[in-house]
Amino acid sequence: MVLAVKAKDLRVGYMDEEENILWAVKGVSFEVRQGEVFCLVGESGCGKSTIGNTIIGILPPYAVTEGELYVFNKPVVVGNLRDYTGIRGRVVSYVPQNPGTSLNPYQTIGTQLYYVLNSVYGWDKKKSLEVAKKYLSLVELDPESVIDYYPHELSGGMQQRAAIAIALSTGAKILVADEPTSALDAHLRLQLIKLLMKLRETESLTLILITHDLVSTGKICDTVAVVYSGKIVEKCSGSNVIIEPLHPYTQMLADAVPLLGIKRPLKSIPGEPPKPGEEIAGCVFAPRCPLAFEKCVEPPPSFNVYNGEVACWRYANIAGR
Amino acid sequence: MPDGNVIVLLKDVVAGYQTTGRGWRSLFKHVNVVLRGVNLRVYDGERVAIIGESGSGKTTLLKVVLGLLKPVKGSVEVLGKDIYKLPWRERVNVLKQVGYVPQDPYKALNPKLRVRTILSEPLESAKAKPEEVEGRVREVAKMVQLSDKILDKYPGELSGGMMQRVLIARSIIHDPEILILDEPTSALDVSIQAQIIELINNIHKKLELAILTVTHDLGVAQYLSDRAVILYKGGVIEEGYIDDIITRPKHEYTNLLIASYKASI
Repeated sequence: MVLAVKAKDLRVGYMDEEENILWAVKGVSFEVRQGEVFCLVGESGCGKSTIGNTIIGILPPYAVTEGELYVFNKPVVVGNLRDYTGIRGRVVSYVPQNPGTSLNPYQTIGTQLYYVLNSVYGWDKKKSLEVAKKYLSLVELDPESVIDYYPHELSGGMQQRAAIAIALSTGAKILVADEPTSALDAHLRLQLIKLLMKLRETESLTLILITHDLVSTGKICDTVAVVYSGKIVEKCSGSNVIIEPLHPYTQMLADAVPLLGIKRPLKSIPGEPPKPGEEIAGCVFAPRCPLAFEKCVEPPPSFNVYNGEVACWRYANIAGR
Repeated sequence: MPDGNVIVLLKDVVAGYQTTGRGWRSLFKHVNVVLRGVNLRVYDGERVAIIGESGSGKTTLLKVVLGLLKPVKGSVEVLGKDIYKLPWRERVNVLKQVGYVPQDPYKALNPKLRVRTILSEPLESAKAKPEEVEGRVREVAKMVQLSDKILDKYPGELSGGMMQRVLIARSIIHDPEILILDEPTSALDVSIQAQIIELINNIHKKLELAILTVTHDLGVAQYLSDRAVILYKGGVIEEGYIDDIITRPKHEYTNLLIASYKASI
C-alpha cells in the first residue's frame, strides 16, 4: 500500500503583526492511500482549507507549521521547515473553489494551459497546445473550440472542467479540490462528480476533496475526515458517515442537510464555530454539543470504534478505555 | 392557484443583454435574448420559488422584477403598476415596496460601514426622522435576532450567517410587500442553512409578505416555497405546488433535475 499523503500531528498557524500565532490546524494525523478519494468536511473557518493548502504547498510566508507531512514518502513539512521542490504542481495539483475568479480573464484557455506546460516541461506553444487539447478532451470539453475561448465564454461547469484540465496538465497524481461543487447546480454537480470518479480510474488519481457538504461527499468518498476547530473529530468510511455518524457534530451536520421529498424539520447547529486561534481547553465541540457531560472538559483522544475513529468521550466505554 | 391580489405580474417578458459582435460586426448592436416570453404571477402573502440551473435566466428575471433591466417586450407589473412605464421617481416609490437580498453576503455589504449605518442608510435616504430611524433599526434587528453588540460591528467581523441576517434586516427595513431572495443559502454552511430558512419563514409569517426565492437547490426550495416555477433556457417549463413538482414532475427536464439532485446528494 503506497501512501500518497501522511500527516503526523500537523499544526498550522498564521502569525499576526504582533507575532502571535493563531493556530488554524491544531494537531491532525491522517493517511491518504494512493488512488483513494479522501474528503475533509467541516464548516467555514474549521481549518480544512488550511490543511489543503499545506498539502499543495501554497501556505503564505507568515504561516507557521509544526509536526510532519509526507507526500509520497517525501517529507514536505518537518517542523517549521517546508520544502515542496518537485512536489508542488508536479505531484500535487489544485482545483480552486471558484474557477470564474481564478482563471485569467485576459487569456484564452489554450494560452493558460500553454503557460503551465511551458513552465513545467519547457515546451513551445505548438507542442503545448497539442497536449492541451488532449487534456481538454480528457475533461470532456470540445478541445478545438474551447482552446480559443476566454473564461467568460464558458459556463460555470465548463470553467470548472477547464480548471481541472489545467491542474491535470502537469501530470499531477494528487488532485486537491477546494469545494469543487459548491458553485454548481445539481445537474452539473452530478456530471462533475462522475468526471472526477472517471479521472480517478483512468489517470489513477488520488483525490482530496475539501467541502462542507457531508451527505454528497459521503456517497463518493472512500474516507471522510470531519474537521472541527482545527482538529479531526471523526474519521470513517464514506458510507458510514451517512448511515452511522458517530460524533455528535457529524450527526448534527447530517441532520442539517435538506433531503428531497422528505420534509423533516431541519436542524441547525446552535452557536458558531470557534474563531481561528481560539483555544478550547477540553473537547473542541463541547460548547455547542447538546450531549456534553462533565468528562468533556478534558480533550478526548481518538477512539477506534465501529471501523472508524472518533474523538468523543461517549465512546470511551465502547473502546474499552 | 392561490387567491388574493397579484403583487408581481410578468406578461410575455422577453429580456436580454445588448451585445456587439467581433470585428466589423461591432458596428451593430443586438440583444442576446435570455428570457423568452416569461409569464409569472406572485400573489399577496405567497411563497414562490424560481428553480433552474445556471444560465437558465433566474437572475435576469430578478433584474427585470427589480426594475434594473428593461425588457425588450412584455410588461412587468409590481403592485399593479407597470414599472417600466412609470416616471423614474414613481418607479423608485413602487420599488421601495420590494425588499431584495442579494446572493453573496460577503460581497453585498459595504465593509467600511458599521451594521447600524448599513441598516439606517435606506431610512435616511427616504428622509425618515432621525428619532424614528434608531427605533426602526432596533426593531428590525430584533426581528432577525441581531444583538445590539452586532449593530456596532463592521461586516468583516461577522460570520456568514450574521451577514445574511444583516442583509435580510436591510431588505425588510421599509416593511416591503414582497421580499426577493437570490440564492439565500448558497454561500452559507449547511450547519447554519436551517437557521436562515427558519428566519425567512418567521418573517413571512410575521410580516405576511410575499416571498420570491431564486434557487438552484431543490432541497432548499422545498422549505422556502409553496409554489415553484421551473425555468429552462429562459422559458417557464413547469409551474405548480412544490410538493407536487417534487413527487410528480410533469416535464422531462424537471424529472432530470430531481434525479440529478437525488443522485448527487
